[in-house]
Amino acid sequence: MENLICAKCGVPLEKRRTAFQYLGYEIYEELPRCPVCGQVYLDEALVRGRMHEVETEVEDK
Amino acid sequence: MRKPFRDTRSVCPVCLRPVKAQLCREEEAGAVFLQKSCPSHGAFSVPVWRGKVPFDQWTANAKPLGPEEGLYCPSACGICPEHGQGTCCVLLEVTRRCDLFCQYCFANGGGMAEDPPLDELKRAVDDILRQCGKPLLQLSGGEPSLRDDLPELIAYARKQGCETIQLNTNGLRLAREPEYAARLAEAGLSIVFLQFDGVSDQVYEALRGAKLYEEKMRAIENCNRVRTGVTLVPTVVRGVNDQMLGEIIRLGASLSPAVRGVHFQPVSHFGRYPVVPQDGMRITLDELIDGICRQTGLSLDVFQPSCCDHPLCGFHISALASPCCCGVKPLPVSRQGAVSTAEQNRDYIARRWQRGSSQDGEDAGPLNDPKALDMNAFLRLLRTRSFTITAMAFQDAWNLDIERLHRCSLHVYNKGMVKPFCANYLTAAQAEN
Repeated sequence: MENLICAKCGVPLEKRRTAFQYLGYEIYEELPRCPVCGQVYLDEALVRGRMHEVETEVEDK
Repeated sequence: MRKPFRDTRSVCPVCLRPVKAQLCREEEAGAVFLQKSCPSHGAFSVPVWRGKVPFDQWTANAKPLGPEEGLYCPSACGICPEHGQGTCCVLLEVTRRCDLFCQYCFANGGGMAEDPPLDELKRAVDDILRQCGKPLLQLSGGEPSLRDDLPELIAYARKQGCETIQLNTNGLRLAREPEYAARLAEAGLSIVFLQFDGVSDQVYEALRGAKLYEEKMRAIENCNRVRTGVTLVPTVVRGVNDQMLGEIIRLGASLSPAVRGVHFQPVSHFGRYPVVPQDGMRITLDELIDGICRQTGLSLDVFQPSCCDHPLCGFHISALASPCCCGVKPLPVSRQGAVSTAEQNRDYIARRWQRGSSQDGEDAGPLNDPKALDMNAFLRLLRTRSFTITAMAFQDAWNLDIERLHRCSLHVYNKGMVKPFCANYLTAAQAEN
C-alpha cells in the first residue's frame, strides 16, 4: 500500500476518508487516493474481503 | 363471476386422487380460487388469494405447469427429475411424542409411539447428506427436545458435515432447564425455530391448550445466554392472533440480536386440525401481507415473493432491527423478481438466522442509523441487527397446487425418501378428528 503512484497524475496517493455509496447506504473507509485527480486505489484484499461481505449482507437472496 | 386463467393440478381432498384444477379469478375483487372436481366426490373451490396484493405481479416469476407435468404428483413423491427446485432444508422427525397437544399440528404429534433409535437417526443423517448435499437440517417431531440424546444427534450431524442445524421446538425444555440451551449449543445447534404464536397467554391457551407466554420468553432468554439465534414462528389463525402480527414483530425486533426474525405460517389443515376449513377461516398469503402492512406501517413494496419456492408459498423482508415505531427498517430490495437456487436460499437463512460469534464484536453496534459508519462498524451492525420477516404458506388437501409443489425446497426425510413438505404431510379429509 505504501508508495503508490497515481498512473494518471504521477503523484503519490494519500490515505483519505472515502465514501462508498451502495444500495442507499454511505459507508466510509480510509483509502489511498490521488490528491490531484481523486482516483482511489482499491486493493484486491479489500474488494474480495470486506466489500464483498458488505454486498453479501446487504443484498437479497 | 369467476374466470379460469391458469391450469394446474391438485388432489381430491377426500380421496387424494390426482385431479385437474384451475385457478379462477373474481375480476372485481381480484380474488383467486383453486377449483377442481373429483368424479367420486364432486366439485371443490378454495380461496388462494383475496386481492389485497396484485396477483399477477406477485406471481410474475412462476412458470405454469406444462400439460405433461405433475401427472404423478404428489402420489409418486420423492423428489424426481421433474421437480423444479433443489433441497434447501430437510426436516427429520426424531420423535412422534409431544408434551403439548395442539389444536393444529402438521405432524399430528403426540401419543406414545416409540422413538426411532439413535443409530437409525444417524443413518438418516448420513443418507440426507448423500441425497441432498449439505442442506439445512431441521430436527422436528413431535417435540424433538423430549429425546435426551438430542445433543448427541446434533453433534453427530455436525461431525458428518451438516453446517446449519435448526431445532423446531415449542421451547418448553429450553425454558425449564436453563443448562439445556448450553448443551445444544455445545453440540453444534445453529438456530432455534421457536413456536411463538403471540404476546399473550390467551393465544397459547387457544392454540396450545396452556398459558405459555412466560415460558416462551424464558426460552429466548436462555438461548440468548449461549448465543443461539432464535426465529419466532407464529401459526396465524383467524380470530386468535391475526391482529397480533405487528406486536409479534415489534417484540421480536426489540429482542434483537437474540431474536433473528419472525417466520409466519398461516394455518393449514393437515395432520391434526379441529374442523374442515371453511373459506372464511383461511388466511391467504396476501391477507397476511396486508395484515402486517396495516399493523406495522410497512409498505407493500418491501415484501418480496419467495424467490426459491413458488411465490404463492411465501415472502421475505430483509431488515435491520431499529428503534423506529414498527421495530424494523427494511433493507433495499436488490434482486426483484429473480429466482434463487436452494443453495442461495439456504445460505441466506443460515447467515441471517444464526448469531455471529462474539469475536465479531456482535454487540458493539448500537441501534442507530447505519448511514454514517465505517465499513467495519457497518458490517458489525448488519450482522448484529439483521432481522427478517418471512412467511411460509403450507398447502393442504383443499388448496394443494402442484405448480407450487414443483418448486418446493423444504423437504422431509421419510423412510429413505426425500419428499416435498406438503406432499409428505398431505392429509385426506376423512382423517379429520
